Amino acid sequence: MRTKVGSKLRLGSAAIVISLLWSVTGLAQESHIGNLTGNARRGKALYVRYCIFCHGSEGDGRGESASYLDPKPRDFTKAVFKCRSTPNGSLPLDSDLYDTISRGIHASGMPSWKPLLRQERVDLVAYIKTFSSAFQEEKPGAPVVIPPEPANSAESIRRGAELFQNMNCWSCHGKDGRGHGPSAATLTDSKGYPVTPFDFTSGSRFKCGETDRDMFRDLTTGLDGSPMPSFADAMTADQRWDVVHYIRSLNAPKGHSKLKAELKTP
Amino acid sequence: MRFVTFQKIGMQLVGLGILLAGMQPAYGIPAFARKFGLPCSACHEAWPMLNNFGQTFKDNGYQLGNDRDAPIYQDPGYWPIMFRTTPVWHRENNNRQTVDRVPGDPGSGLVEASVSTSGFDLGGVDAIAAGTLSKNISFFVQPFFGNSGVAITQAWARFDNLLGSHWLNVKMGKFELDEPISQERLLTLSNSGGLYYNYFFTPPGDNNFFQGIGFTQLGVEVQGHSDNDYTRYSLAVVTNSNGQTGLPSSNTYDLYANFNKAFEARWFGRQEAGVYGYFGESPTYFLTQNGNPIPGTGQGNRSFYRIGAYGHWYVNKFDFYTFYMHGSDNVFLGNAVPSNHPELLPPGAVGPTWNGGFIEGHYNPTPRWIVLGRYELTRMSRQANPGIPDNAGNLDTWTVGYRWYPIMNPRAGLAWTQEFSRINNIGAAPLSSQDAIRNSLMMGFDFDF
Amino acid sequence: MKAKFALIPAWALWSMALSIAMSSGLAQAAESSSSVKGVVKFSGTAPKASRIDMSQDPLCAKAHSTPATTEEVVVGGGGGLANVVVYVSDGLATHDFPPPQQTAALEQKGCQYKPHVLAIQAGQKLDVVNSDETTHNIHPIPNNNREWNMTQPHGMALQQTFAREEVGILVKCNIHPWMKGYISVFKHPYFAVSDKNGEFELKGLPPGIYTITAWQEKLGTLTQKVEVGAGETKTADFTFKQ
Repeated sequence: MRTKVGSKLRLGSAAIVISLLWSVTGLAQESHIGNLTGNARRGKALYVRYCIFCHGSEGDGRGESASYLDPKPRDFTKAVFKCRSTPNGSLPLDSDLYDTISRGIHASGMPSWKPLLRQERVDLVAYIKTFSSAFQEEKPGAPVVIPPEPANSAESIRRGAELFQNMNCWSCHGKDGRGHGPSAATLTDSKGYPVTPFDFTSGSRFKCGETDRDMFRDLTTGLDGSPMPSFADAMTADQRWDVVHYIRSLNAPKGHSKLKAELKTP
Repeated sequence: MRFVTFQKIGMQLVGLGILLAGMQPAYGIPAFARKFGLPCSACHEAWPMLNNFGQTFKDNGYQLGNDRDAPIYQDPGYWPIMFRTTPVWHRENNNRQTVDRVPGDPGSGLVEASVSTSGFDLGGVDAIAAGTLSKNISFFVQPFFGNSGVAITQAWARFDNLLGSHWLNVKMGKFELDEPISQERLLTLSNSGGLYYNYFFTPPGDNNFFQGIGFTQLGVEVQGHSDNDYTRYSLAVVTNSNGQTGLPSSNTYDLYANFNKAFEARWFGRQEAGVYGYFGESPTYFLTQNGNPIPGTGQGNRSFYRIGAYGHWYVNKFDFYTFYMHGSDNVFLGNAVPSNHPELLPPGAVGPTWNGGFIEGHYNPTPRWIVLGRYELTRMSRQANPGIPDNAGNLDTWTVGYRWYPIMNPRAGLAWTQEFSRINNIGAAPLSSQDAIRNSLMMGFDFDF
Repeated sequence: MKAKFALIPAWALWSMALSIAMSSGLAQAAESSSSVKGVVKFSGTAPKASRIDMSQDPLCAKAHSTPATTEEVVVGGGGGLANVVVYVSDGLATHDFPPPQQTAALEQKGCQYKPHVLAIQAGQKLDVVNSDETTHNIHPIPNNNREWNMTQPHGMALQQTFAREEVGILVKCNIHPWMKGYISVFKHPYFAVSDKNGEFELKGLPPGIYTITAWQEKLGTLTQKVEVGAGETKTADFTFKQ
């Protein structure tokens, strides 16, 4: 009897130790995007091929190329990400990381990795999550609500301009939206590297997506790790749409010229 | 480098490593790694072979498309140039080389002998300047410094993403035809194994100015691709000169078309299949002055084509190229007879046709290793005239090798490579009509910086 | 089968023992009347505070009839150093304390943080108030807690907590770059921020030997070891130099 107890105990504790080790190494981490499941072990091989020179072997954004890059590559060990659909201060969803990998980040060294297989990108998400224990200790918040966009109008743009003034957007983005507001020169990201506010007149694409919905989402979630805050509690959804319309008008493509003309009339 | 002489050298050229010293230019471009901070392995399965990310980057006009591609974003000290050189040791053997029975005595008669040569050697130096002149205008200049002097392998400029779309790009200059299985990005370098024979095949007795889709051509190409490069097409109109400058051939234009489509196979990886065709007309005689042909005045144009299909298949860390070609030349081209003298055609003359292809497998366990093997063959299905032996021109080749990349960083690349290849020109030994077998054993470094 | 059942009582004993130990620790905290008090001083000439230019935002500038000054080193009369976080850094038997029901408060007033240095407990609710007409964003940049960044116009309610222990979390307003505050978070209740005279008291400590640390945002940290018996009040003074 005793020997049986002893061997069962040994087997049981061996199993516990092994599974503890396995989970501690983090390579048991999975990701779920759509109907695909990502595996961190496969993701690691892909990370070494594609990501390591910018993001570093420890995932801390200190790869060999990092000293020559501006903005700096993301430090995954902090689990702080700009482009998310979750509320301010929350972890991103797996699909947020997948979208960032697929889309890339404009005006930065992060390319669009769409040429990689979908499965490969899902595997990479699983591996990236192993760099921070936050992904095991916390859960991402529920995605922010993005209601349907109301129609654009000169009135909406006017309200947006007023909000742009009252919410102090101009102190960073400048009164003309070119990114040279009075606080702009003092801005740093959360690691202390200088950053410049977005120039809305430049025609360059936004970091976290190009559509109006993406802009609304950015206003709602804020860009974590940067000076760009969340306006989720500061403005109602309609107000945020007004700001989106105003920002678009700062670099209006041809279709919006009529609205722009309306704005000019006294 | 005068290509005109190729017209006169027939079958012997096949298997001699046509291009210059025979070691094939191939490259990864560290200038891109330096520009973007990405390692070689991001764009290359194992340089010089591209992966899909790298192929998309190339099709986008060497742009990552993240609004930072224009040269104005680069440090003024950045210059988009790289060099590549391959110092190697190699041994070549030809089992039925025709030599004088008594060395130095032409009267002693010719015999066949097995001849080996070996030693340290250099495959020339490739310089490549490539990148963007401004947003959506890309360029590529590739001079090759070889034993016979400087040759311009490629020199072109391309307007990328016209009308804001990936589907419209226009390239002009001297360029490699759009072949996803690229002759310029071979993993092999040796005399016998450093080329795809099907890309350079000319049937015995043929004098077609066009020598194969492996040569870079002069013309205009319209190319397009989907966002992730899974669907691609290319249409090129080139002048019939086989890439030689100076308008040496005729006023005809050839057409090259390529279409390929890829898809994801859930557990295996990316699979790609494509079709291509090269359709042209070559001159069969020239205007002459005192009996000497005047370059560029090609007359009596007759048609030819090369068509086929190819694929690139992944099974996790293994991948395979499969390639098939069917070639056909007009009877006048096939028999090297000017079309204004049809009476010179031998009895029973026809247009030669042939089929060929290769399968090349790779094992790429990490970005630092690639092991490869290739089998290639060509079989004449119809000889130009009954006087040509049935198996003339047929060939079989085997190549095995590996490349190891000890250094991989966004500044330069280094590979150690070893390769053995064997080509059998079936029945091609001029004296005995037995198989002429050549093999190459090669090992050395491939520097890319 | 028999062997499995034989194991369970042992584990149950373990968990019972643990809970007894924990509850005894908490009971002790409620009963103790020992404390550590003292004065934090600055020796030498106090560095001169510089004036803050708030002209960028007229709504800030008008809140100050004389310009506001920086608060990096605030020395009161008698050399007392204010805004020093004094806390027990070592010696506690347990770190398991429920967060207090009481809500802490951080106010943005006159485009400055009041208090300039705040200390709260992990899990304690923090109300952030914007008493100014202008809109602020409140952006703490922790190393050991989740970073967040919320825009707060006048009157908007905002409540947050910090889950983990961390000393000297920098709080910024990106809109008004001169605004700087510090939040320190502890898992236990034995901490205090020195007042304008440099005085502090750590109340209700269980008897024991403790390391007391004083943290100042510019001048660094100082530590001392203090032994407190039951019902005793020990003095621990700190003197910071330039």
